[in-house]
Amino acid sequence: MDILMKALYLLIFPGLLYCSVAGLLLAGIDRKVVARMQKRIGPPLLQPAYDFFKLLGKETIVPAAAARRTFLAAPVIGLVSLVVTAVLVPVFGFSAFGGVADVVVILYLLTIPAVAIIMGGAASGSPYAGVGISREMVTMMAYELPLVIVLLAVGKAAGDGGVTFSLSKIVEYQQANGPLITHWTMWPAALAMLLVIPAEIGSHPFDVAEAETEICEGALVEYSGAPLALFKLSSAIKLYIMTALFSCLFLSGWGTGIVAVDALILVAVCAVIMLICVSLVRAVCARLKVEILFRFYWRVVAVLAAISLILAWLVG
Amino acid sequence: MIQHLPILAIMTYFLGAFLTTLLGHNSKSVRWFLVMLASVASFVMMCLLIKPIFLDGGIIGYWMGGRAPEAGYAIGIGLEVDALSLFFGLLVTFTVLLSAVYSIKYISRDDAQDKYYTLFLMLAGGVLGLVLSGDLFNIFIMVEIMTFAAVALTAYRNWAEGSLESAFKYLAVGSIGSSMILAGTIMVYSQVHTLNLAQISALLAGQGLTNTTVFAFALLFIGFGVKAFIVPFHPIAADAYMTAPASISMVFSGMVNKAGVYGMIRLVYVVFQIMDVKSVNYLIVLLGTITMFIGVTSALNQHDFKRLLAFHSISQIGYVITAIGLATSLGIAGGLYHAMNHTLFKGLLFLCAGAVFYSAGTTDLDRLGGLAKRMPQTAAIFLVGAAAISGIPPFNGFASKWVIYQACYEAAAAASGFASIFYAVVTIVGLLVSVMTLASFVKVSQSVFFGQLPDEFDEVKEAPLLMRIPMWIMAACCLLAGLLPGPLSRFALQPAAAATLNIKGYIDTMMGGGYAASQMGDVTPVAELDFSTIGYWQPVAWLVLFVIIMAAVLIVALGSQGARGNKRSTELEKVDGKYATFFGGEHSTYSMVGGSDLFWGLRYNLRHYFGFLSDMHSGVVNDYALWAVTAAAGIILYMFLFL
Amino acid sequence: MFKKLIDNSTAKSPWIYHINAGSCNGCDIELVAVLTPRYDAERFGFKLAGTPRHADIVVVSGPVTSQSKERLIRTLEQVPEPRVIVSLGSCPRSCNVFKGSYSVEGPLDKFCHVDISVAGCAPKPEAIVLGLAQAAQLLKQKREEAAQK
Repeated sequence: MDILMKALYLLIFPGLLYCSVAGLLLAGIDRKVVARMQKRIGPPLLQPAYDFFKLLGKETIVPAAAARRTFLAAPVIGLVSLVVTAVLVPVFGFSAFGGVADVVVILYLLTIPAVAIIMGGAASGSPYAGVGISREMVTMMAYELPLVIVLLAVGKAAGDGGVTFSLSKIVEYQQANGPLITHWTMWPAALAMLLVIPAEIGSHPFDVAEAETEICEGALVEYSGAPLALFKLSSAIKLYIMTALFSCLFLSGWGTGIVAVDALILVAVCAVIMLICVSLVRAVCARLKVEILFRFYWRVVAVLAAISLILAWLVG
Repeated sequence: MIQHLPILAIMTYFLGAFLTTLLGHNSKSVRWFLVMLASVASFVMMCLLIKPIFLDGGIIGYWMGGRAPEAGYAIGIGLEVDALSLFFGLLVTFTVLLSAVYSIKYISRDDAQDKYYTLFLMLAGGVLGLVLSGDLFNIFIMVEIMTFAAVALTAYRNWAEGSLESAFKYLAVGSIGSSMILAGTIMVYSQVHTLNLAQISALLAGQGLTNTTVFAFALLFIGFGVKAFIVPFHPIAADAYMTAPASISMVFSGMVNKAGVYGMIRLVYVVFQIMDVKSVNYLIVLLGTITMFIGVTSALNQHDFKRLLAFHSISQIGYVITAIGLATSLGIAGGLYHAMNHTLFKGLLFLCAGAVFYSAGTTDLDRLGGLAKRMPQTAAIFLVGAAAISGIPPFNGFASKWVIYQACYEAAAAASGFASIFYAVVTIVGLLVSVMTLASFVKVSQSVFFGQLPDEFDEVKEAPLLMRIPMWIMAACCLLAGLLPGPLSRFALQPAAAATLNIKGYIDTMMGGGYAASQMGDVTPVAELDFSTIGYWQPVAWLVLFVIIMAAVLIVALGSQGARGNKRSTELEKVDGKYATFFGGEHSTYSMVGGSDLFWGLRYNLRHYFGFLSDMHSGVVNDYALWAVTAAAGIILYMFLFL
Repeated sequence: MFKKLIDNSTAKSPWIYHINAGSCNGCDIELVAVLTPRYDAERFGFKLAGTPRHADIVVVSGPVTSQSKERLIRTLEQVPEPRVIVSLGSCPRSCNVFKGSYSVEGPLDKFCHVDISVAGCAPKPEAIVLGLAQAAQLLKQKREEAAQK
């Protein structure tokens, strides 16, 4: 029964089905909103879903130069780890695996999709992919430092004198004391987290790794058909997970208690967060160069997060 | 019978070494027989000790020649095996066994193999003797045996570029370490007039710290620091690991530097009992943190497979040192756990590097590429090792790093003021180092196993079965150690961590019941260790996940159509352009992104720091000796100022 | 149901890869104009892909010069099935004013089957949108045909 329940969590809610639908919906909203900002009509809301299904129906070509097994396994590994992350992120009060929902676990799990793209790109044997994975890795090192500091700052603020690594504890703290965004010490961290999200999902000003106009989609250059579809789905799910993680860290602590309603509210909250930090930034900014991106994250965003960490220590 | 096992295990190695020289000169099979017999026998003997020590919580004391203490003074040479010693003893014998199996094929093309095996067994005996010994001078002797065997093995392939040079560096800086240990031993002897660890421990605790003991501690600490290759004693390790044969590099990182770690733990926790002194904790944690950061950033810059691994070895030892410096139960357990995991995954990676060297004849990242098509099993094993060392769940590196972060951050929360910020920064550095580790393994996998296959490596063959067997065993261990932290911590880590704090038991076993109480006065009982948070990470859920991933991968791998076998890519492209790599319409040509060109953005931004690093690793042995002596002076000064 | 979902999606999400086979850049600018706010081809799901592996529709402009011929053929081969090839402008149809030049080897249909041809020098964006929309329908049709086989 327990295993059945776990399988249910993993496959339906808040696992594969829910986060895919939420992610694709969010990606659709993003595209639509950016189009409207540019005075275009924009694609239908379900466009990412159409893209996904179309790619499933396309031929899958494995280049002769590719290491076949790694090439095909990489998207699956990326997707599965994302689904597991989605299960670990609490939906307001509801958390499928309460005990395991740990910040460090999530931090490490979130690196796996990027690693999957990198491995897949490396296995494809294309020099474009070589440039792409190099950029992807530098981007990852750039945003990982502020992300780590943000998570520690939140862990300290929600630790009640001590420190907690547990997401469910963070949520409980917010239930008792109101969302963390209301604490002024957490504002720099929230801002830093908002800036980490677009880099983590590789959206426009920070998409050096997949720059389709300069290095032909980078690591994805040789992918076609179903594996590409899985990568596209992964990036949509990542959109959901990162925004949900933000809402869990800073905006949690309320909710109706009815899981279905909470899930809908969460998607709405995610959409708002996404509009602020992804769509808006994407519509107005041009792509950064990779060394500027790295400098920005280590000099600006990391410092913002560190301010929060120190404040949490001094005040809390 | 049981109490004879430790000395027998050590003697088996030494006897094996002598017999190999005597009998193994001409016959291959005699040589292999002797080496395998020695390594299997020692491993079995260590395994036989698991039950009395780990499970029943016993400590084995053994006086050589039956010379028990007389008139309250330990005159004979003693061996003492508690859970901590056994933990390291098991690591040593396991590494030696796998390395011996691997060597059979790996070393088969070299000459003077009997010398190789002799030195190999001497090295093994030296390290095993060190971890099982209960006598400070005996430890020094074992350190010397270990160092000289290691130096000779570093220079074993003396036709290879730089091997003699790196052996010389190892000799020079290693001797500094050894002489520090000797000097420290003399200092200790002048204070307490005994060399037995247990008795020293009891008497020193009774006396409290005097200037002489502080000096002795500093000297011994530096000595073992050199043996563990912490920064700034590390450049010799990078050179030695690179030029030694891979089977020996594995032994170096698997057990030789563990011997240094073991020495530190014994020193801090048992002999001098200064784990409660905050300034020592800060020093150890600081050294550990610097070690892990400098190790990993140097690794990012390397373009030789084995040299890169060597720097990672340094970096991972930094994790271990940091964790044991925290002096919390979680920290000790995490440190030991990571020490074990490091033996597993780093050994595995060195074996992969060896397999690549065996098959392709080079470990230069700028020349290699695309070997996954020719050596699929090695590539798969390498990915396991890379995932483990980068701390990707569900492999073992994640589990132990997780415990270490938890320990660091709890220490931060428990401390106040400056110390808590310091520990928080340590946590952040730890997490960042983990990402950088991942980055440099991405670099290796792109430049060795994936990417394009250069024509010169087109005829490369998969490594032979005898080399793959130890690799697969280690890969399986990496997974198991990550999935079973619960049983592991219950049966091995908790006893070992408890043993580090069970000083009274350690003393009384050797010196007779009540000795500790008579010398130290009120002996604090063993602190109840709190391991509740270790099992917090639930591996069963991960097992389910792992099965799902495997099933999914299998379905994809089997279900996809158009398997193209291992034909040469250029031939296939002639048949059907569809399978050619996209080059913007051009012919596919060999245009690989060289290993040292990856991560340009990072290197550009940190160019001053990287410049400083490469100045620091000048390759001149005078510089390295100067670094070592300066650091030693600094540490001694620190100890006098703050202890 | 699943199959039908894929079939329907195929027509709704055509990704374009554009090959310039020696064009004067006139048609290329018009193709980009199709994606601007005024015509906004993205409302039909059109998107410019960065690599032929992602493409459904290959748009070829230019009379196919001897320099670009080999590259064109190689790139076309790398597009996964089902795919539609659209010729853009007069050049790939008839080589236009470049016909007879020593360096022109066109027209395009010497080298591959052209599914849709958009005429004009340069074609109007409206015409291009129409051509691409037809190509998207053709894509679905091709998929269904392939399924029947």
